[in-house]
Amino acid sequence: MPDALPKERLTWMLTQMVRIREFEERVKRTFEDHPGVIRGHTHLADGAEASIVGSLAALGPDDQLTATYRCHGYPIALGTDTKALMAEIYGKESGICKGYGGSMHLTDVGRGFLGTSGIVGQGIPHAAGVAWAAQIRGKGQVVLSFFGDGASKQGAFHETLNIASLWKLPVVFVMENNNYQAYTKVEQEDANAAVGEPLAVKAKAHSMPGVTVDGGDPVAVYEELHTAVERARAGDGPTLVESKVYRLSAHGNIIAPPGVPLHYPEHEAVKIFGNVEEYEAAQRGDPVPRFRARLVTEGTLSAEEADAIAEAAQKEMQAAVEFGLESPFPAPEKAVDYVYA
Amino acid sequence: MLRTMWRIRVFEERVGELTRANEVHGLVHLSVGQEGVAAGVCGLLRPDDAVYSNHRAHGHAIAKGAPLGPLMAELMGRDGGLCRGLGGSMHLVDREHGLLGATGVVGGNVPLALGSALAGRLAGGDQVAVVFFGDGAVQGGIFVESVNLAALWRVPLLLVCENNGFAEFTPRSAHTVVERVSDVVAPYGFPRETVDGNDVVAVRAACAAFLEDARRGEGPFLLECLTHRLRGHYEGDPQRYRQALADEEWQELDPILRLQRLGAGEGWLDDAEPARLEQQAREEVEEAVRFARASPFPDPSLTAGLVYAS
Amino acid sequence: MARELPYIAAIGEAVHQEMERDEAVIYFGQNLALTEEDPYVKAFGGNRVRVTPISETAEIGMAVGAAFAGLRPVVQLYMAEFMLVAMDQVVNEAPRFYGMTGGEVKVPIVLQAGYGFTAGWAGQHTGTIYGMFLGVPGLKVVVPSTPADAKGLMTASIRDDNPVVFFHNYLLTLEHGDVPEGEHVVPLGEAAVRREGGDVTIVGIGWTVGKALAAAEQLAGEGIQAEVIDPRTLAPLDLGTILESVAKTGRLVVVDQATRHASAAAVIAAEVASEGFSSLKAPVQLVTALDATIPYSQPMEEYLLPSEAKIVDAVQAAVGATVAA
Repeated sequence: MPDALPKERLTWMLTQMVRIREFEERVKRTFEDHPGVIRGHTHLADGAEASIVGSLAALGPDDQLTATYRCHGYPIALGTDTKALMAEIYGKESGICKGYGGSMHLTDVGRGFLGTSGIVGQGIPHAAGVAWAAQIRGKGQVVLSFFGDGASKQGAFHETLNIASLWKLPVVFVMENNNYQAYTKVEQEDANAAVGEPLAVKAKAHSMPGVTVDGGDPVAVYEELHTAVERARAGDGPTLVESKVYRLSAHGNIIAPPGVPLHYPEHEAVKIFGNVEEYEAAQRGDPVPRFRARLVTEGTLSAEEADAIAEAAQKEMQAAVEFGLESPFPAPEKAVDYVYA
Repeated sequence: MLRTMWRIRVFEERVGELTRANEVHGLVHLSVGQEGVAAGVCGLLRPDDAVYSNHRAHGHAIAKGAPLGPLMAELMGRDGGLCRGLGGSMHLVDREHGLLGATGVVGGNVPLALGSALAGRLAGGDQVAVVFFGDGAVQGGIFVESVNLAALWRVPLLLVCENNGFAEFTPRSAHTVVERVSDVVAPYGFPRETVDGNDVVAVRAACAAFLEDARRGEGPFLLECLTHRLRGHYEGDPQRYRQALADEEWQELDPILRLQRLGAGEGWLDDAEPARLEQQAREEVEEAVRFARASPFPDPSLTAGLVYAS
Repeated sequence: MARELPYIAAIGEAVHQEMERDEAVIYFGQNLALTEEDPYVKAFGGNRVRVTPISETAEIGMAVGAAFAGLRPVVQLYMAEFMLVAMDQVVNEAPRFYGMTGGEVKVPIVLQAGYGFTAGWAGQHTGTIYGMFLGVPGLKVVVPSTPADAKGLMTASIRDDNPVVFFHNYLLTLEHGDVPEGEHVVPLGEAAVRREGGDVTIVGIGWTVGKALAAAEQLAGEGIQAEVIDPRTLAPLDLGTILESVAKTGRLVVVDQATRHASAAAVIAAEVASEGFSSLKAPVQLVTALDATIPYSQPMEEYLLPSEAKIVDAVQAAVGATVAA
């Protein structure tokens, strides 16, 4: 168990959570305010902020991570310029990937955010490869592999956990279990969930620790990750951490051919399963106001300080939207760049 | 069971000779030493129970009832073979006897068996599906994808792992830290058992218990049989990666000798019977070789007509 | 009787009608049949229609096994690229058994795979990857371009005794067209002549058939009469219809949404060069996507893709390059 976190660290956590939320709300609002600016498929991290920030809080400066197409939150907390992130989502030349990747493929190699696969589960082996490289280099780096509950039914998950355990790779597998595999409830597609077991039991098959944590509590997530990261750093191998989160938006914006305006539908709990109660309970448990209230109640922050964090985030993300809108598109002939390194 | 094991043993040894004589060509994997699993499991199955095998399929085919002549002819690539010579050693199929498919890619047969089990349930009968695979297949993603579905949908599928300690040329310790294959399915909570695969009586007893439940529509089940692959991964494998067993060690393990010792001890096997069974098997296998040699090679134009089903 | 239906609904109607006609047809995949209210579940029950986890390898492998046992599975994969996760099953299991067993085992499965969603889906979900499957003997590859064909080809695919990859184009999802009610079968391996003309043959594939027809209209204004052919099935390929047309026109332009290298367009060009060389009065022109991973940003995306204007240019080049026979 790590020492209690100092005020600066807790403030940092809240700040990153608020920034991610504000960013995601701006992305969502872009569909209404600026139709056509965001194309394709966009996936938001609202509801998972505590899990993301608590996880990244356990990392050292040289540590690395890979994630999925639901990837906006990580680089924000890592310090990537939100202007470059928004511009990428808008398909602009000033984007973090120069407009080549879009929402699903945000990457910031300089900050250790090495890649986001758009295919469920396929980023997990990438993380193991990164960890192998770290093991070879021997500088004590640790890699986090973020993926969802749905990915744990992919062969790639099983194949990778086995190898990582066998080779004692310095990797921590962080499964953000939001209870929905896209539109399907986890108990409809997972043999463990169907009998009420936590998905962390899957670690048993690979002789590695498997723990489940409340992903709505950044400090709890930090503590579990800290233990797992230090275990990995010590050369004792990987851990599977199941972080229970609730995605507050739908899986993604609607999927439609060109010409049909895109928007965010209602959450699957309501839209498909008619379970309004479940969704409202999740909203009441929203980790961002929950953590803010805790810090204010515990006296870590004053309400004014917390408000200032929110205001700064609003200003920052407004500027990100404006930057994204104003930025030019890449020159069309650049389309054939980056075929061969 | 003893007869079946002798038939497999003699068949496999003869195939080894024919491989060295180049009468059987291509990649050949023998199951010498693993006869107890095929005999213990398949002896309990009906023709309408689906069996899926892998690249090491000869023993399963024999135990499931495939005729030795067409089986040998297939290995020799003849028109009279089970698959008219188009499949060969790794792709044996005998629908009549419920040997639905042997696949050459590790683990590729596990979801196929899942599909058969599902089809059996839809058909409303009490048939089961059985899939044989090695310990190497268990590390493949396809294995756990299939296991999750089998457990979620509770299909009558019996997963039989022949754990011979080597995935191809690599010892199990280089593939995984998980000691028992059955531990890989531990998260899914279904019945599983690890038995000494060289003890055919134990294999049969464990399998019988699972089958009884499977015929009532329950499942899946995993039976892990610890076996020993007496020969290399394939015929011609120099086996630099492992130490050969001493003869006396193998005398202890050999599933055939063990059953014969048991039979003699319990008094149901007279002293002359093993030799008779071996001799009978030799005659059958020689007859199979004659059948195969007499069968012509298929007309090369056959392949052109077998691209699409019509 | 025909009535208007969108392309995607025409596919669904074919699956539904075949499930009604033949109890052996089963339908499964990710994110479908989620509730009792699902129309397929209501009609056919939760045994024949099932949601699966994200386990493509197991899904497709299971379809192969169910086919061994006499069923006719239709696997809904949504994105064609998800097949790449399970290439062993698609390429090295399903199409191999028939030949390998000397005709003993048939694998009548349909893999329903959407492709070509060049609408901002960036690098991993927009691929036009049917070309990858053309070199797999025993595997059929179907690429409908109209709602009526989508229905007729899906029906034929389900009834076919072979594994079929049914590639439907995501850009055509909501395109409306006349679709026959009731049973409608379009045989696999038969091309359609979409427009007749004597000056140049344009072969379009899937989404590019519409582009080719639009280009042909424009060219007619310039006095060039183009014949437009839609192969409808890429494997097996109806080369005869294409060769007949080229014998008449002497010029060939092949349009493909896929990247050029090892594309279906390249295969067609090679076949015509090989089998119809004496008919050709000009080099074959290929109008394909440029060889690059599809970028997210719209201007770059459009730059890579074939377009009406590029087809017109290619036809003019073919006509202009004509050599004396």
